[in-house]
Amino acid sequence: MNRNQNSLYGVAALFDSPDDILKAAKKVQADGYKKYDVNTPYPVHGMDSAMGFKASKMGYVTLFFGFAAAAFILGFMWWTLAVSYPLVIGGKPFFALPAFVPITFEFTVLLGVLSTVFGMIAVVFNLPFNNHPIHDTNYMRNVSSDKYGLVIEAEDPLFEQDKVVELLKSLGSKNIELVYNPEEEKYSIFQPKFLVFLGIIAVLTACSTYVTLNKFMYLPPFDFMLNQNKGVSQEESSFFYDKREMRTPVAGTVARGYIPYAYTGETDPKEVLSNPLLPTKKVLELGQKKFLTFCSPCHGNYADGKSRLMGQFPPGPTLHSQRIINFTDGQIYNVITNGFSIMPSYKRQITRDERWAIVNYIRVLQRAQNPKPSDFTEIKEINKESGKNVPN
Amino acid sequence: MPEVDNDLNLNKDKENKDHDYWRSFRDLFRDKSLIEANQSEFAEGVKDDFEPSKLSGISRRKFLALAGASAALAGVGCSDYRSKGHIIPYNKMPEEIVVGNPNYYASTSTVCAHSCGILIKTREGRPIKVSGNPDHPVSKGKTCSKCEASILSLYDPERLKFPMKKNHNGEFNKYDWKPIDDEIIDILNKTGDKQIAFVAHSVISPTGKKVLDDFTKKYPNTKIYSYELFNEQNRNSAWKKCYGADVAPLIKWNDAKIIVGLESDFLGTDGNKVETARLFAEGREVHNLDKFNRLYVVEGSLSVTGMSSDYRFRLRPDAQYEFVMSLLNEVSKSGVAVPLDAEKLADYSLENFAGKYSLSKKNLKLLVNDLVNNQGASIVYAGRTLPEQVHIAVNLLNEVLGNSKLYRDDTSSINVLPLSKYEEFEELVSQINSGNVGVLIHYDSNPVFHLPHDLGYAEALKKVHVIISFSGSQNDSSVLGNYTLPINHDFESWGDAKTRTGFYSMQQPVIDPIFDTRQKEAILLTWLKGKPVVYDDMIYHKYLMDNWQNNIYPSLNSKMSFKELWVAALHDGVVIFDEAPQSYGSFNKNVLTELQSNSKASSNYLVVLRDSYQAGDGRFLNNGWMLEFPHPISKITWDNYAAVSHTTAKELGIESNDKILVEVGNRKLEIPAFIQPGAADKTVTIELGFGRKTIGIVGTNVGFDANVLRSKSGGVSNWIYKANKVSKGSGSHKLVSTMEHTMFAEALTEDAAKKRKIIQEGTVKEYKKNPHFIKTENPEKMESLYNPHAYPGVKWGMAVDLNKCIGCGECVIACNAENNIPIVGKDQVAVSREMEWLRVDRYYSGTIDEPVTSNQLMLCQQCDNAPCENVCPVAATTHSPDGLNQMIYNRCVGTRYCSNNCPYKVRRFNFFNYRDHFKNSYQQSHLFSLVNNPEVTVRSRGVMEKCTFCIQRIMDARSEAIKEHRPLKGSDVRTACQDACNTEAIKFGDMNDKESEFYKKYRTHELGYYVLEDVNTRPNVTYIAKLRNTESEEV
Amino acid sequence: MTKDYSVELALVEGNPPLRELDEVISAPIDSRPSHKYHIALSITGSLLLIGAICVGLTFYYGIGMWGNNIPVAWAFGITNFVFWVGIGHAGTLISAILYLLRQHWRTGIARFAEAMTIFAVICAGLFPIIHVGRPWLAGYLIPYPNQHSIWPNFISPLVWDVFAVSTYLTVSLVFWYVGLIPDFATLRDRATNKIKKTIYSVFSLGWRHSNRHWVHYEKVYMILAGLATPLVLSVHTVVSWDFAAAILPGWHSTIFPPYFVAGAIFSGFAMVSTVLIFVRKVFDMEHIITLDHLEKMNKIILLTGSMVGYSYIIEWFMGWYSGSPFELFVTLNRAFGPYAWGYWIMISCNVFFPQLFWFKKIRRSIPATLIIVILVNVGMWFERFVIIASSLSRDFLPTSWHYFKPTLVDLGILFGSFGLFFTLILLFAKTLPVISITEIKGVIQGAQPTHGGEHES
Repeated sequence: MNRNQNSLYGVAALFDSPDDILKAAKKVQADGYKKYDVNTPYPVHGMDSAMGFKASKMGYVTLFFGFAAAAFILGFMWWTLAVSYPLVIGGKPFFALPAFVPITFEFTVLLGVLSTVFGMIAVVFNLPFNNHPIHDTNYMRNVSSDKYGLVIEAEDPLFEQDKVVELLKSLGSKNIELVYNPEEEKYSIFQPKFLVFLGIIAVLTACSTYVTLNKFMYLPPFDFMLNQNKGVSQEESSFFYDKREMRTPVAGTVARGYIPYAYTGETDPKEVLSNPLLPTKKVLELGQKKFLTFCSPCHGNYADGKSRLMGQFPPGPTLHSQRIINFTDGQIYNVITNGFSIMPSYKRQITRDERWAIVNYIRVLQRAQNPKPSDFTEIKEINKESGKNVPN
Repeated sequence: MPEVDNDLNLNKDKENKDHDYWRSFRDLFRDKSLIEANQSEFAEGVKDDFEPSKLSGISRRKFLALAGASAALAGVGCSDYRSKGHIIPYNKMPEEIVVGNPNYYASTSTVCAHSCGILIKTREGRPIKVSGNPDHPVSKGKTCSKCEASILSLYDPERLKFPMKKNHNGEFNKYDWKPIDDEIIDILNKTGDKQIAFVAHSVISPTGKKVLDDFTKKYPNTKIYSYELFNEQNRNSAWKKCYGADVAPLIKWNDAKIIVGLESDFLGTDGNKVETARLFAEGREVHNLDKFNRLYVVEGSLSVTGMSSDYRFRLRPDAQYEFVMSLLNEVSKSGVAVPLDAEKLADYSLENFAGKYSLSKKNLKLLVNDLVNNQGASIVYAGRTLPEQVHIAVNLLNEVLGNSKLYRDDTSSINVLPLSKYEEFEELVSQINSGNVGVLIHYDSNPVFHLPHDLGYAEALKKVHVIISFSGSQNDSSVLGNYTLPINHDFESWGDAKTRTGFYSMQQPVIDPIFDTRQKEAILLTWLKGKPVVYDDMIYHKYLMDNWQNNIYPSLNSKMSFKELWVAALHDGVVIFDEAPQSYGSFNKNVLTELQSNSKASSNYLVVLRDSYQAGDGRFLNNGWMLEFPHPISKITWDNYAAVSHTTAKELGIESNDKILVEVGNRKLEIPAFIQPGAADKTVTIELGFGRKTIGIVGTNVGFDANVLRSKSGGVSNWIYKANKVSKGSGSHKLVSTMEHTMFAEALTEDAAKKRKIIQEGTVKEYKKNPHFIKTENPEKMESLYNPHAYPGVKWGMAVDLNKCIGCGECVIACNAENNIPIVGKDQVAVSREMEWLRVDRYYSGTIDEPVTSNQLMLCQQCDNAPCENVCPVAATTHSPDGLNQMIYNRCVGTRYCSNNCPYKVRRFNFFNYRDHFKNSYQQSHLFSLVNNPEVTVRSRGVMEKCTFCIQRIMDARSEAIKEHRPLKGSDVRTACQDACNTEAIKFGDMNDKESEFYKKYRTHELGYYVLEDVNTRPNVTYIAKLRNTESEEV
Repeated sequence: MTKDYSVELALVEGNPPLRELDEVISAPIDSRPSHKYHIALSITGSLLLIGAICVGLTFYYGIGMWGNNIPVAWAFGITNFVFWVGIGHAGTLISAILYLLRQHWRTGIARFAEAMTIFAVICAGLFPIIHVGRPWLAGYLIPYPNQHSIWPNFISPLVWDVFAVSTYLTVSLVFWYVGLIPDFATLRDRATNKIKKTIYSVFSLGWRHSNRHWVHYEKVYMILAGLATPLVLSVHTVVSWDFAAAILPGWHSTIFPPYFVAGAIFSGFAMVSTVLIFVRKVFDMEHIITLDHLEKMNKIILLTGSMVGYSYIIEWFMGWYSGSPFELFVTLNRAFGPYAWGYWIMISCNVFFPQLFWFKKIRRSIPATLIIVILVNVGMWFERFVIIASSLSRDFLPTSWHYFKPTLVDLGILFGSFGLFFTLILLFAKTLPVISITEIKGVIQGAQPTHGGEHES
C-alpha cells in the first residue's frame, strides 16, 4: 500500500531473542510510554507482566452469555411444547424437564463459545484490520517469523522520533524502521460497477424467488402427497369419457335409505304418503330453517304469498287458502317433491326428512294465521309459566 | 389551493387572533412564516425541490438497496397461482348423493358359489369398499376376504375393454359388438344338429338359469356343463345313497358340544365359511362357558380349522376311512348300536390304528368318550375332498350317535343347476373329438385350467371351430378360443341368487360398465332376439324384472305390490319368504354294503390338493391384495408350495424352499417344499389355483399349477392321490413369508411367545377353578414416573377375543381396502417390507409334530405411553384428545426411529413409492387409483404409517353426532377390521363409558391382558386370553 | 524454567531455527503436489464419487435402495453416523483436554487432530440427513418459526443430536480457526504470490502477533479448551442416548454414555494414528510428529480399549442381573444369534488386539501400530453395527423378527464416507499448515526467555 510520508505511525524495532524483547518491553514500559506494542511470533512468557497487563477478563463474557443462553433455550422449549402448541407426547408432561437438559447444555456451550470468540476478535481486537500501518513492513515480515519486535506509536504523548530511535538502539535493536500511515483510499458511491451489482442482485433474487415458489416447489419430490391418486369429489377425471370423477348411480338401482318416491312425476296422485315426523320442537325448527331458505322467497316468510322477490318472479300462492289447509300432509309433500305448475321439484335440494319438517312447519303457520280461541288460553298458560305478561 | 381561500383563512386568523389562545411566541406575535407554514401541507424544507446531489451518500445507498429489494419483492409478487384443474360438479344432482358422503347399495357377490349378501360403499357413484349385508340371513353382515378383494378386479387396468376376435394368425384383434353379434347369431343358426355346449361354473341365479333355458329352447341341442374346482359332490352323493335327498343338510354348529373335523377346513375353505365361522364362534363365548364346544381335528396338514382345535391329530387323509370305522368300532364297544356285523368292525381297532399312525391313545380315548357321552350334541364332519366312502361312514357314525339332531331343519341348500359329473365332461370331450360340437361357449369359466389335464380338454378344443369365451379378462381357456367377449364385473351387473331355501338374494350394479363390456346374460339375450341386433344396457334388467314379476313374485304370495316388493328387495338385497326346507330323508341300511370293502391306507407318499386361501380356484390369481395376504398358517405370500412334515423333509433330504418332484401316474410337478409343523408324514399338501399361464401382470409367474397332478379317474378322491414317487427336485425357489420360521429351530427362541407373556392362554377348567389365573397385576396400577394425562370425553379402545379369533385374516384385507394400503410385491415382502397395517401373528408351541397354534391379531396398540411418540424428532406422531396415537403423514420426515422404538413393530414404512415400484406402476394407473378410499391420505415414499383405529370412520361418526346434537358414543364407530371379522372377535368402543357393553364385558374382562404388559406402554388394545377346552388344566 | 520443561525439548528433534520451521511446515503448501499426492487424491476421490452416486440413487428411489426393513429400520446409515462422530472425538480431546493437562507433546499433532475432528463430524453429519425417508424435509428438525407454530419434539434424542452435533461442529471449527489465525498471519507475511497473500490476509483478519492480543488470545484459547472438554464428552453421550433412551432391549442401557465415550476416544485415536503414520511419511515430518507421539497415543488406545472391553463384560452382567428375559436374550443373541460373526469380530478387534500394546516393542513399532489401529477402526465400526442391527433384528415380538442384509448401495455409501474423509484430509494437508507454527515455535528450545520467567506452566 502507498504510504503518506508526512504522517508517521511509529518507530518499529526488531530484536533477536526473547530475552532482549523482554528487556526492551520492560524499559519502554518503565519510561512511561503508553502507545506502544510488542509483536512476537508466539506468546512470550512474562511479556504480560513486562508490559504491565492485568489478567484478561474474557471469561466474564463467556459466563454471561452462557447463562443467558441456558435461560433462553430452556424458556424457549417450555414455550414451544407447553404454551405455543401443547401436544401429548408419550404420556409425558408438557414441560418434561429431564428431556430438556441435553439441549440446554449444548446451547449454553455454543453461545458461550461464539460470544467469547466473536467478542475477542471483533470487539476487543477490532479485527479484521488488514490495512493497519505495520502490515507489509519489513518489521511485520520478521516478527511473524522469527524476530521479536517493538513499535512505539507517534501518537504517544512522550513520542519524539530521535529520542525513541535512540532508546531502541540502546536496547540493542540492530534494525529500526520508521512506519508511515497508509494513504486513505476513496470510493465514490455512484460507481457503475456498484449499481450493476445491485441490479444483478435484484434480478437474481426476483427470478430465484419466482422459480422456487412456482416451479421448484411443485416438482417431485416436493409434490409427493400433494396430488393424491384417488378419486376426489368434483375433480376432473382423465379416465372417464365425460371427464367426471363423479359418476351417477345406475338407473333402477336402490341405495340404502333411498327407496325412490313412489309417486314421482304425479302432480295429483290417488294416494299419498303419511307424515312420518311428529311436530316436535326440533323438527319444527328444522322446518322453519328450510322453509325460510327454500319456500319463503315465493310464498313469503309467513306463507302468506307475500313474495320476497318483489315480482321478479311470479309470487307463490298463499298457503293459508282453505284448499291447501285441506291438503293432506302427503299432498303437500308431493308438491314439494314433484313441483306444481311453475314450481319446480325440490327433491334434489331438500332431503326427505327436511321436506316432512317443512310440511309440519307449514301446518304451524296455517294454525297461527287462523287460531282457535283455545290457542290463546293455551299461550296464556305457557306465558304465565314463563313469567311473560301478554296483552289480552 | 386557490388564492381566495388562502386570504380567507388569513383573515379568519387575523380576526380570531386577538381573542384566541396562542400556542407559541411566534404564534403570539403572528410570525408570517408560521402562518404560511400552517397553510401549507408540508413542513419547511420538504417543499424544496428534490436534489439527489444534496442527499447524503448513505441515503443513496439505502435507496439503491431498496430498489433491489423491491425488485425482489416484485419477483415474489408476480408469482402466479398454479392451476389446480377444473371443478366438475354434477349438472343434475342425483337425489341420493350428497357430495362427500358415501352411499350404500345392497347387492350379492358371485365370486364364489356361496353368494354372500354384500353392502357396497360408493362415493359419488364409485364403489370403494365392500362389506357384508346385515340383512342377509346367511352372511349376516359379514363376508369373506375374496368378496372384499373383488373390488380390485373391477378397477383392474388389465380388464378386457372390448370384444376380441382371433384372426387367422392366431392374434386377437379389437372388434365391435355389432359385427360380432351378427356373426355369432349366424353361426348359432347354422349349427344345425351339432351341439352348442356351455361350460360354466355353478349357476346360482334363477333368472340366469332361465336365460340358459330360453337359449336351450331356441337351440334345442344346447347342453350346459357346469363345474367347480372344489365341490360338494362326494358329500352329496354319499348323502343321496344314505338318505335319498340330493343335498346334504346344513349343520347347527352353534349347538354342537363336540365337533370332530375330518380333513375338513370348515372354518377356512370347506363350505360356507362365513356362516360356519359365525356359528362355531357362538360356541366359543367366554361369557357362556357351558355352551363352550370342543373341537377335534384330524387332518393331513395344518389348516385354519386345525389351528383353532382343542385336540388335533395329524393323519394322512387316506387313513380317514379306517379311522372312522375304528371310531364306529369303539362306540359300538361302548354300547352304541351300530348296524354293522361285529367281526367286520373288529378289524378296525382304534388301539392298533393309534399305534400305526402314532396318535395319542389318551386323546383318542377322550374323543370316543366325548362322542358317546354327547350323543345328539356332537357332530362328525368329513371334508369335501374325502371320498364318498368316508362320508357314508361318517353319516352312519352321526346316525348311530343320534347327531342328526344337529342337522338344520330351518333351511337347506339348493342347487339351481346341479354340477355336472366328470363323466359328462368326458362325454363332452368325446363329442368334441367326434366333431359333434359346433359351438363351445366358456360361460365365464376357465376349464382348461380347472379340469384334469388327462381329460384332454385343451387338445380337444382344436377340433371346435367356434369357441366363444365370456370373460372379464383373457384366461387360459379364452386364448384357445376365437371369440373373447368382455363381461361386466359383479358390481356392474344385475342378478339374483338362490343358494338356500327361504330367501332370494338380489344383485344390483353400483356403477355403469366402465369399459365396453356387457353382462353375460345380456349377451345371450341379444343373440336370442336374433337379427337385427338391438342391444341396450337395460336388456337384462328388464328381463330380470319380468321374470320376477311373472314367475317369482307370484310364488312368494307377498302382500306388497310387485313394484313395492321389487324396490324393497333391491333396497334390502334379500327377499325372505316362507319356504319349506327339503327333508334330508331317513337312513337306509342298504348303503352299509358300501362299507364292506376293507380298504386300508397304503404307506407310500400321498398328494393332497387343497383349496387356496389366497388365489381361490385361480380367479384371484391376478389380485394383488389376495396374493400379498399372508397365508393364514405359513404366512407365505405370492406362492403356493408343497407342505411336508419335517420327518418327510429329512427323508427327502430337503429344506424349505428346495424343490421336490412329485409324480402321480405319468403326471409330474416340481414345486418348492415347505416344512409345515403338524403335517402328517409322507403326505404332500399342495394348494390349487396357482400357476396360471394366461393372466395379468400381477399374477404372472406366481406359484405352481398343481392341477396337472389331477386325473379324470381320480385317485383316493378327486383331490387326493397316491404318488408313485416323491423325490428331491432340481434347485430351489424362494418362498417369502411375513414371519421367520425359527420358533422350533433354536433353544434360544423356543416358546418365546409364552415366555414373554405375548400369548397368555388357559383352559376352560383352569378358568372355572380360578377366573383370575391370567391377571398378574393390573397395568393401570403399574408405577409411572408421571401422572397420566386425562382423557375426558371419548377414549377409544379395542378388545380382541382370542377365543373367537380363528386366524383367518379377513380383517387384513378389509384393512387394506379401507386404508389405501399399497401392494408391495414379492421382492419387498422378501425383505420384510410388507405394508399391511394389521397382521395375524401365529405362534407355535409344543413340538414340531404336534404344534399348539396361537393366533394373535396385531395392530397399533395406541399406547397411552407410546414409545414411538417420544422419539419422533418432528412430533409427527402424537396423542389425540380421544386417546389415539396419531400419525401426521405430512410432518413425517421418515427417520424410522418410531418403528425402532415400537415394541409391537406395527409401524410400516414406505421404503419406496410402492404404487410406482410395484409391477411398473400398475397401481398408479388412474383406473386403479379409483379403488382408494377418498377419506384416507395416499401416503408417499419416505413416510411412516400405521393403524389409527380407522380415524376417518371415527371422524364421520363424530360429525354425525355433532349434526344431531348428541354426544358421540363408542358404539357409533365400527372399524373396518371389526366389520369384517366373521366371528365378531374384535370389539371396539369407548373406554370412558363405564356403562357400555364394551367396557363391562371386554375391556375389564378378567381374562383380558395386554401384550408386553411389563413394558408399561399402557396399550388400549385388550386381548382376551384364549381358553382351550381340553380335559387337562394346562394347555 | 522448570525441570520437566527441558524434557519437553525432545518434542521437536534437533531443534531447528524458527525460520526453518516455517519452511518445513509450509513446504507442502508452497510446493506443487507430488506424484504420491495425486495418486492418493485420485483414490479417495473415486471412493467419494462412488459414495455420491449411491447417495444419488438413494435420493431418487428412496431408502428402499438400502437393506433396511421393519424391524431393522436403522442399519448402516446410523452405524456410520455413530462411527464418524466417534472418530471426531480424538481431535478435540487431544487439542482441548491435553491442552488443559499441559501435555506439550500435543502441539505436534493438535492441529491435525482438530482438522480430523471437523472432517469426521462433517462425514457424520451427512448420515442423519441422507438416512431419513424425506431428506428434503430435514429442516423440520430445526425449530424455526412457522405459521402453524409446529415445533420439533425436544423430547426426542434425535433433536438432541441435531443440537449436539451442530454445536460440536461449530465449536470445533471455531477452536480450529482461532488456532489458525496467527499461522495465517505468518503465511501471509511470507507469501510472495499476490492471490495467496490476499487469501491469507482475509483469513488472518489482519493479525499482528501483537502482545496486546496474545494476552487475551491465550485466555480465550484456555476457555475454549475448557468448554470443549465437557462438550466432547457430552456429544457422544447424547449420541449414545439415541439408543439408551429407547426401550429396545440391547439399547435401553445405562452404561451406554461412558461406554460410548470411551469407545469414541478409542476409535478416534486409532484413526488419528492411522492418518498421522501416513502423513509424517508423505510430508517427511518424522522429526515433528515423532515416534513418542505415536507411542503416547498407543498408550491411550490401550487404556480406552480396556475400558471398552470392560463395558462388554458389564453387558453380560447386566443381561443376567437385570432379570429381564428380554435383556438376557439380547445378550445371548448377540454372541450366538444370527449376528454372532459381527460380535466376535468386534470382540477380537476391540479387546484382544489392543492389549498387545502392553509391549513397548509393539507400541513403538510403526507397522504393528498401523495394523492394530486399523483393526481397532474395523472393530469399532462393527461395535456400532452389532448394537444396532442385532438388537433390532430380534426385538420383543418374535413374529416381527427379520435379518438385515446390506445392499451394494449401503456399502457404496460407507466407502464413500471414507472417500470424503480422506479427500478432505488430503486437501487440508496441501492447503493449510498441518502443524501449528505458532505453538511449535513456542515450545522449541530457546523459545522462551532464559530468566525473569514468571511464566505459568
